[in-house]
Amino acid sequence: MKMKRLAAWLLAGVMALSAVGCGGTAPATTPDTSKDNSAATTTTTTDTSTTTTDNSGSNTEVTSDEQVTLTMWCIATEGDSNRKAYEHAIADMKEKYPNVNFEWEAIENEAYKTKIAAAMAANEVPDIFFTWSCAFLGDFVSQGKVYCLDDTLAKYKDELPENMLGNTTYDGKHYGVPTTMNIVALFANMDLLAQAGWDKVPENYDELIQCCDDLVAAGIIPFGCAGGETWCVTEYLEPIIQKSIGSDALNDIFLGRASYDNAEVAAAVDTLQEMIDKGYFDPAGASLSNDDVKQNFIDGRTAFYQNGTWNCADFASEEKAPGFLEKVKVTEFPVINSDKSKLGQLIGGPSDTLAVSASSEHAELAAEYAAELGRLICHYGYLDGCGLPAWIPYGDTSSINPLTQTVAEICAKADSYVLFGDTAMSAVDKVPYLDAVAKVYGKQLDGAGFIAELKNAIR
Amino acid sequence: MHNKNKYLTVFLFLLPALALFIGVLVYPIIASIHHSMYEYRTFTDPGEFVGFKNYIDLFNSQYDFGHAIINALILAALSVFIQLPLSLGLALMLGKGIKGERFYLSVYFMPVLISAVVIGMLWEKIYNPIYGLLVKSFEAMNMSSVLPPEGLLGNPKTALMAVFLPTIWQYVGYHMLLMYAGVKGVSPELREAAMLDGATSGQVDRYVVIPCIKPIIKVSIIFAITGSLKSYDLIKVFAKDAYNCSYKVPSLLLVRYAFNNAGGIASAIAVLMIIMCFGFAILVNWMFKERNPYGAK
Repeated sequence: MKMKRLAAWLLAGVMALSAVGCGGTAPATTPDTSKDNSAATTTTTTDTSTTTTDNSGSNTEVTSDEQVTLTMWCIATEGDSNRKAYEHAIADMKEKYPNVNFEWEAIENEAYKTKIAAAMAANEVPDIFFTWSCAFLGDFVSQGKVYCLDDTLAKYKDELPENMLGNTTYDGKHYGVPTTMNIVALFANMDLLAQAGWDKVPENYDELIQCCDDLVAAGIIPFGCAGGETWCVTEYLEPIIQKSIGSDALNDIFLGRASYDNAEVAAAVDTLQEMIDKGYFDPAGASLSNDDVKQNFIDGRTAFYQNGTWNCADFASEEKAPGFLEKVKVTEFPVINSDKSKLGQLIGGPSDTLAVSASSEHAELAAEYAAELGRLICHYGYLDGCGLPAWIPYGDTSSINPLTQTVAEICAKADSYVLFGDTAMSAVDKVPYLDAVAKVYGKQLDGAGFIAELKNAIR
Repeated sequence: MHNKNKYLTVFLFLLPALALFIGVLVYPIIASIHHSMYEYRTFTDPGEFVGFKNYIDLFNSQYDFGHAIINALILAALSVFIQLPLSLGLALMLGKGIKGERFYLSVYFMPVLISAVVIGMLWEKIYNPIYGLLVKSFEAMNMSSVLPPEGLLGNPKTALMAVFLPTIWQYVGYHMLLMYAGVKGVSPELREAAMLDGATSGQVDRYVVIPCIKPIIKVSIIFAITGSLKSYDLIKVFAKDAYNCSYKVPSLLLVRYAFNNAGGIASAIAVLMIIMCFGFAILVNWMFKERNPYGAK
């Protein structure tokens, strides 16, 4: 009787918690793929079949007039700055590759990170997928899930400079097609600055602080930042750290060559918190999304907005921000400690990338398609102002909006780049880092607490 | 021989359900326990065997699991002590056959039918500190200073309750419907007999109806507690990327670590959630066990 009752309870418990049980990670019966898919012969074993890849990695030969379906996932949703560039590029590709039936799906940024990770584990990745460079793509490359693009990109070496491929190169092999590159920049609403007595963008840190004080005195909120989306907080914190300790020191920390146990990092974190304490940040931002904060900047609620330069496209768009282009200027965050840093040290670099799944049935064709598509997305994205080109520009570029042109000038004078922290770090290190950044913005950690928490948490 | 055949037939008839049960329910739980003993930095590579290290690490400040458990327990307590009494009150009221009973039943049940994501978006707009219904209402009453400038969701002191309120509100109708079915099932003769003995309407509910629907109340309590411990969807809508939100719950952490190369930690969270839900289910059942007033069973 007792056994019966126990069994009944076990069943009831298991039934009630089935969803939790399924929440665990997938069993370790996933495919065994070689790390280097460009090796002489790579065998990819799946649950149901075994296929052999030749030197070029192509699993199936495709003749030119055979109809082939290629699939792609990306983050160019309807609201994304790059949407138009993707649509134009895909339309061009349909003409160029009439034998390819191209199916693509755009997924919202945060959801995409989860979806692509799950799809990788289940070996259900589309032929071509959007990815961020460095550690994000690196995790998939180390699992042998990404097709090597050495042979394909060799054909484009005159159009795609080698220095743009550094963030997608692992063990000397290329795994990604970069599209555009972006940096973090400070956007200023000159109408609001004028109301505080400023007719120019602050040129150094003292001027920036004075400008913020003047704005606060005039009843204008200086900065807007979406506290609920931690990557937006990093767009403020990382430039402040960089302009306090220098690019090399920050890069060493992000890449694990140096510890967070650095008093200057703590001081930089305290600098951000002093700005929050002085009322420089819109308090409402703590519960708003980035889209709301950006719209507040366009609507004139905040005077500055520090974020990626992909926003140039939206700020220059008459449809999304009517009449705003005349009011807005873009610059880089000023130097805080001139002994350690200087103008031209920037956060950003080539990150937006297309990659090809190693398990694609038509990997060789997908690689060629991804390279061509990446080139076109870069072209149209640059024309729209979604970022600077990773590929050598072609055609008439005179119509590019003045904001993107200013960004190009800033980048032309760049001294060094440090990639966005959450892209540079591995997924394991990214979580405690973003957690600590969020705590800094929420005033739950000060500078000393920030370095104390991260020096142990990050390898 | 005859018995052997009988057992074989029974076994064969039970086999499909048993296979489904083991494959879909038992195996994932056993797999979660197994995975929780390994690193699982990637989905495909178990990494090193770490024993119970993942469970110990969970309570480090880095993972903040203790905070998530406390939040889940607060939500469970709110569900039991606010949501269920509200549901019971509505069920008793509607069970008396008031005018417009069907209409009210539909209205109270409606939030259950709406997707949690839609409810989350709706309440997010209500809470918006710039144009939200709440802030505009308080402004109209010249009371906007009562609300925190960062909004209820942005202030760590108010965020927990602001997120739990819609979570509780959504399922009031669900429990009400369960209890309403029980109330309607109480024999009218019992009510009439009590009233003939001079019981008031409140006394009839207290001494006749509620004891009759005790098994349903028990089920509701188990659902409310286990549902609170597993809550995810609605909270995820508010939490956005969920880093350091003051209302983090175990499921949020589980999903975050599962997809950020810490599968072992995620599995340890899953196992602890299973143990907690199972433990609470046993506790509630024990509390509702019929006991002989004279002590003997």
